[in-house]
Amino acid sequence: MDAALQPVIETTGLVKDFGRTRALDGLELRVADGEVHGFLGPNGSGKSTTLRVLLGLIQPTAGNARVFGLDPWIDPVRTHRDLAYVPGDVSLWPNLSGGEAIDLLAGLRGGADEGLRRDLIEEFELEPRRKARTYSKGNRQKVALIAAFARPARLYLLDEPSAGLDPVMDAVFRRQIHRVSRDGATVLLSSHILSEVEQLCDRVTIIRSGAAVETGTMAELRHLKRTHFRITGLAEPARLAELPGAHGLRLDGPAAEFDAEAGDLGAVLAGIAEPGLSGLTVAPPSLEALFLRHYSDRRGQAQ
Amino acid sequence: MRGVLRLALFQARRDRVLLPVWILGIALLGFATSSAVAAQFGDEAARTAIITLAASNPAFLFLRGLPDGIGSGAVVFFQCYAFTAVLAGLMSTFLVVRHTRTDEELGRSDLLDGTIPLPRAASLAGTLLLGGGANLALALFVAIGFIAAGLPVPGALGAGAAVGAVGVFFVAAAAAVAQAMPSGRSANAAASGLVGAAYLVRGIGDALGTPEADLLHVTSAWPAILSPIGWGQRSRPFTEPDLLPLLALFAAAFVVAAVAVLIRQRRDLGASLLPPREGRERAGVGGTSLVGLAWRLQRSTLTGWCLGAAALGAVAGMLGPLVAETVSGVAPLKELISRLVPGGRAELIDVFTAALLGMAGLFAAAAGIQAVLRLRAEEAEGRAELLLGAPMSRSRWLGANLFIAASSAVMISGTAGVSASVGLGVSGVTSVPAGSLVPAALAHVPAALVFLTATSLVFATAPRLSIPLGWGMLVTGLILGEFGELFGLPLWVQDLSPFRHSPAMPVEPFDPAGAAALTLVGAVLATLAGYAISRRDLTA
Repeated sequence: MDAALQPVIETTGLVKDFGRTRALDGLELRVADGEVHGFLGPNGSGKSTTLRVLLGLIQPTAGNARVFGLDPWIDPVRTHRDLAYVPGDVSLWPNLSGGEAIDLLAGLRGGADEGLRRDLIEEFELEPRRKARTYSKGNRQKVALIAAFARPARLYLLDEPSAGLDPVMDAVFRRQIHRVSRDGATVLLSSHILSEVEQLCDRVTIIRSGAAVETGTMAELRHLKRTHFRITGLAEPARLAELPGAHGLRLDGPAAEFDAEAGDLGAVLAGIAEPGLSGLTVAPPSLEALFLRHYSDRRGQAQ
Repeated sequence: MRGVLRLALFQARRDRVLLPVWILGIALLGFATSSAVAAQFGDEAARTAIITLAASNPAFLFLRGLPDGIGSGAVVFFQCYAFTAVLAGLMSTFLVVRHTRTDEELGRSDLLDGTIPLPRAASLAGTLLLGGGANLALALFVAIGFIAAGLPVPGALGAGAAVGAVGVFFVAAAAAVAQAMPSGRSANAAASGLVGAAYLVRGIGDALGTPEADLLHVTSAWPAILSPIGWGQRSRPFTEPDLLPLLALFAAAFVVAAVAVLIRQRRDLGASLLPPREGRERAGVGGTSLVGLAWRLQRSTLTGWCLGAAALGAVAGMLGPLVAETVSGVAPLKELISRLVPGGRAELIDVFTAALLGMAGLFAAAAGIQAVLRLRAEEAEGRAELLLGAPMSRSRWLGANLFIAASSAVMISGTAGVSASVGLGVSGVTSVPAGSLVPAALAHVPAALVFLTATSLVFATAPRLSIPLGWGMLVTGLILGEFGELFGLPLWVQDLSPFRHSPAMPVEPFDPAGAAALTLVGAVLATLAGYAISRRDLTA
């Protein structure tokens, strides 16, 4: 197979059982070389378990996982040679300073790039002399992120990396993702923060109960969902009930709200036009709605 | 007060497995000792023989305590009081630190102290209450163990109270230490160091004690009065019960606990008398490797163990001449020893030195196990995941820690050996060349290797069991080694303990076959662990 076409990450029918609990249930995940891939799912859906399988920290019960074409369980050392990992809940050595922890973690991978290390510490506003014991969750996260970004890698596995970062630091984090992505690296970023995935990722895989329920580019996924309309000033709001393509109509005095499929947008716009119209809000397709739909599916509340 | 009680019950719930194991384990040790004494020293002649032998041997006095007549209760108390008191002290200090400084460091206290409408020190008061309750239970169960083995009831109750009173004292002491130290680990180290010091100081006082003419009683020298374990011993429950020393322990505990509560009431959450120091900005040499990390994590505890080992060596050096003097000053004692140990006073000092070096060997094994168990902490607290995301194999990670664990064992034994040679060399009382005490101390390393590699194999195969099994193996080995003969266990069971295969140099000759066998067993266990560690899931 052509090396360029070979996916950096590929899992087929991945199953992982912990006792009687099934954490992964036939997960299919493909991440192509050079893409920033969002891995989206609610808490407990199997995101961290997947990353641990990809790192060879745990052995899949069934199915296959390949990273750089290698089986991470059989050959973890070669798999890790060009990879950086940031766990979801970063725990550090209480008596090591932040700077020492960065040097240790980057050092085990071959050593930090001095310039990058300096810039990252400055950008993330980390106090490297403080002992990890005194760090907050966000500061521990920063240490792991700096250690990951301070040495170039071909693949970054990031488990909910921005949880605990404030908005300013989150922006710094996003700049780093753009930087490594520009340099041609592949990123797998798990998250339940939808706006983050929306802003950063080329492709998204949505996981629910240990299986991928949806995967595609952002454009493809947007296609799946409905645009939200809110209109005020209609003379007879009730007439919208007969409008083809308007779903889930709710009336609130002079205001009306409904959703419309992408294919019906032209007809809907033509149908609502009338002289008395005083306000129109069209919410852009957000991943939020998509996500909620997949999440609520599990509880049997499909729209 | 009801709030404090509820906090104590809440903390007790977290300890519902651990505390019963401690309490029943300690009580069982007392029961087993008394049954063994009843079986093996049933008649007065046998008891007279053992007590005379002990009274004339400072090594015995140092390890066990003061002989106090030949009543069966008194013999039992002599055999097991000091060990039981140390265990009660450790149970109490670990209990207190677990619920105070460790919780504070991990941020669990924020949640609780920020939520409950009680004074700042309420949670500490709850812990003190729990500690008192645990030691009350301990006193009762120890007494029940003695009674079950057929000892007189009043004496058994008094002996239980002595053990419990030492525990109560260390509950208060640990509460004060927890106010001063910045982390759970440093608080545990300092508090258990106090327990060790109490045992050591009592040992010095007892070893220097004056035997009475009949060689059935020994009166301790003044250092024993500095030790809470020494106070408990003074209550003499089976001969002339005296509650005063126990009341003194309770009073001291009350004062120390009140100071701890006062400090807690006045300080910020998370603040400590010893502030956490700033660290370095960059990792030092070796700070970027797995061995370097293992060393870094072991360094401060290793220093503590080495200080303890050096103290043991120094005790040998300091007490050597005094022991020799005491022995030669008491005419009947001198006579007895020349009958028991042909050759005179020097060999007696060697017996004493051998006992101390054996104890340093126990330190070496404990430090090695502790270093290996750090792997489990790294895994359970999620740091292993961070490390093993790097291109490093698990067997290398295990190997780095085993290397540091084994090096710790060598350093601790070596320290004890050097300190003993210097001390005894200066005093010039030993019958062997002082330099030979270093190899004598190092002869205990192979046994330590077996313990630490066995712990690593448990970690590699059943990580969740590694902490109880690791320490459990050490305690079992210690009991088989120290009490196996007394309990009359079959020889092959006693021989399961690696300690049994370490020669008591300089009294016994070096045993190359035993050392080689122990080292081989260690190597096999380490290899199996290295193989198994890559074949299991990382678990929390």
